[in-house]
Amino acid sequence: MNRTIVYAKRNFMETFRDPLSWIFCIGFPVVMLIIMSVVNSAIPKEAGNTLFRIDNLAGGVAVFGQMFIMLFTAISVAKDRGSAFLTRLYSSPMKSVNFIGGYILPMIVTAFIQVIISFAAAVIVSLVVDYDLSIGSLLLASVAVMPSALMFSAIGLLFGTFFNDKAAPGLCSIIISVGSMLGGIWFDIEGVGGIMKKIGMCLPFMYATKVARSTIAMDFGFKAFALPLMVVSCSAVILTIFAGIVFGFKMRADQR
Amino acid sequence: MGYAIRTEKLTKRYKDKVAVDGLSLTVNEGELIALLGVNGAGKTTTVKMLTCLTKPTEGKAEIMGHDVAEDSEEVKRLVGVSPQDTSVAENLTVRENLQFMADIYLSKEKAKPAVEKIIKAFSLEEFINKKAKLLSGGYKRKLSIAMAVIGEPKVLFLDEPTLGLDVLARRQLWREIEKLKKSMTIILTTHYMEEAQSLADRIVIMNEGKVKAIGTLEELENMTGKKGLEEVFVTMAETEVEGE
Repeated sequence: MNRTIVYAKRNFMETFRDPLSWIFCIGFPVVMLIIMSVVNSAIPKEAGNTLFRIDNLAGGVAVFGQMFIMLFTAISVAKDRGSAFLTRLYSSPMKSVNFIGGYILPMIVTAFIQVIISFAAAVIVSLVVDYDLSIGSLLLASVAVMPSALMFSAIGLLFGTFFNDKAAPGLCSIIISVGSMLGGIWFDIEGVGGIMKKIGMCLPFMYATKVARSTIAMDFGFKAFALPLMVVSCSAVILTIFAGIVFGFKMRADQR
Repeated sequence: MGYAIRTEKLTKRYKDKVAVDGLSLTVNEGELIALLGVNGAGKTTTVKMLTCLTKPTEGKAEIMGHDVAEDSEEVKRLVGVSPQDTSVAENLTVRENLQFMADIYLSKEKAKPAVEKIIKAFSLEEFINKKAKLLSGGYKRKLSIAMAVIGEPKVLFLDEPTLGLDVLARRQLWREIEKLKKSMTIILTTHYMEEAQSLADRIVIMNEGKVKAIGTLEELENMTGKKGLEEVFVTMAETEVEGE
């Protein structure tokens, strides 16, 4: 069997059987979706705030959830690096490409399951609040957010490669906080403008949120969808290649 | 009988520290060699060099005729390693751990029968569906060795396999290692005298990265004029007696 698939299977099972991954990857985004929907219902319509409307919220939560994928990738890689398990595998016929693929693939699968569950919760909320949410657009969005899932997995791989299992989760939490703020998930970054908007535009998080929200809104214009998708896809490819090089380098350095 | 391992002046240096200093050793096929030494003697570094986990600074090492530095891919196919620390996938069951290693080393057709064979050989039937993290220390080590053996290695490296185990678990593991003897070449590192005495065909005494002596227990006793491995070891470690 292909060694990348074999290793991916092992990593998927390790994550799947860890209750914390269920709580953070599935439970937390769904809870945030429900809480913010309750907040939205308390905001008077006259305020004109549409950020927490279920269609916008679903897109934001999809990206927010992927940030926990980054956290679990980092923990998984850092934990393995600190254990003798990886030592055993370094002396096996596995190559660095098998390791990198083996870490990223299961996280993409987990991200897909996560977004499907989050969107299913969004459909239920939309029925409760009586908002017309298109299931077709949600299905399209669940595919459109996969480049950002790859991007976050690559960031997780980088953190897990650079730091140990004590430091990596803390640093990922900083990225989660910064990413959700500058990604415009919990407030309108474009409305805020100024330096916040400028920094946000230099980072890929805001574009990831835009891709998700535009797809749900079925707005496939260049500025709303194509450009953000290009930014996210390029970031995902560059970060994956960079993480792969760093992991391979670190793997060889560990063997010196 | 051919050589399974041959090293020539194998050396590993870390900045100012010499971990292994000019190790020259030949191990016959089917032999069980114990590398005996106190902590920091260079046993684990020797295993790391022979299993391609670290590159030698100087010297040469061959596994079944393949150079560890130049032909590491082939060497990795020929060796099995059970590292010093427990190295199992904690959230996977015993069967899944074995299947995982079998899938890495063997073809799809060979992997499944190999798993069944190893479960039987290591008497793991009772625990096949138990997660590795729930096993006792002794059974985790047993699983770790089973995982190292499943790829049908020509040379098996057991790095302090019974470290920290109670006497019963240790004896049980010895029986498993005894069963593996002759079917493959085994390099076992230990600092338990009775372990080396009980299992090894030949004993290599290492101290401060250097080989102090190589031989059977009888040969080592004759060399030092002392009786019993502990006495031999203490004498060797404290004097400058040289190799083979």
